[in-house]
Amino acid sequence: MTTGKGKKSDPITWLEKYGDTLYRFARARVRDSFTAEDLVQETLLAAYRSRKNFSGRSTLKTWLIGILRHKIVDYYRKQKHEQVEENPDDFVYGSDDMFDAREKWKVKPGAWGKDPENEYERKELMTMIHACLDEMPNKMSQAITLRELQGVSTNELCELFQTGKNNCWVILYRARMLLRRCLEINWFQGQK
Amino acid sequence: MRHWIFSCKKISLLISESMDWKLPLYRRLGIKLHLMMCYLCRRYKKQLLFIHSILQSEKTIEEIDSASLSPEAREKIKKRLEQEKQ
Repeated sequence: MTTGKGKKSDPITWLEKYGDTLYRFARARVRDSFTAEDLVQETLLAAYRSRKNFSGRSTLKTWLIGILRHKIVDYYRKQKHEQVEENPDDFVYGSDDMFDAREKWKVKPGAWGKDPENEYERKELMTMIHACLDEMPNKMSQAITLRELQGVSTNELCELFQTGKNNCWVILYRARMLLRRCLEINWFQGQK
Repeated sequence: MRHWIFSCKKISLLISESMDWKLPLYRRLGIKLHLMMCYLCRRYKKQLLFIHSILQSEKTIEEIDSASLSPEAREKIKKRLEQEKQ
């Protein structure tokens, strides 16, 4: 280790400086604190092992987050193989029974009233969204987490789920339907 | 009432899809026409976009989740990194 670079390539310093940032980033995406901790560790290890590749063109923080992003994608990829197929119909708010035989709305979308205005309400709404995601079948909540929170492209999402585009859109559609309905019931209806 | 050729069910799928890729022109027009006549689908669209916007803002997540690594986890990772350095 050279003197000037010494501190810069010390993973303990990275942990101290960026540990929490990485942890939060991971937790918002995998929704489980133990997994998030593991991901932080794996990221720092991988970063340390490939520290020569850090060009200095990006900041250290963005470089680390870039590595973490890959780790998260890997995590989902691995999970896919371990996952037991769930039946989305087990979930209370299925999307098919939202329409009648003539494909018109049977369960009509309600008026949601005002958007949350202040910080407090937004926080509460976010908590509710997470509660809804927890209740949804794994695949659906993963689809939402990856696509909407992680900003993963649809292409990449299909790759992770190892499925064709059409199916991918249907998964996202059903997931959005479920989340929308869950919020309507648990958040907006109680608000009035 | 007939809503051109797309049903509400079909429109609800197309609206979701339009958030993931650029739909061909005739579909976009189909949605537009349908929305002009159907307040329920208009509502649905507005709600999906609202959820999208709430989830999209990275800020929301970071503000909300002010969690930090627990001292134990931090210690554990630190040990592992020390090991790696040797």
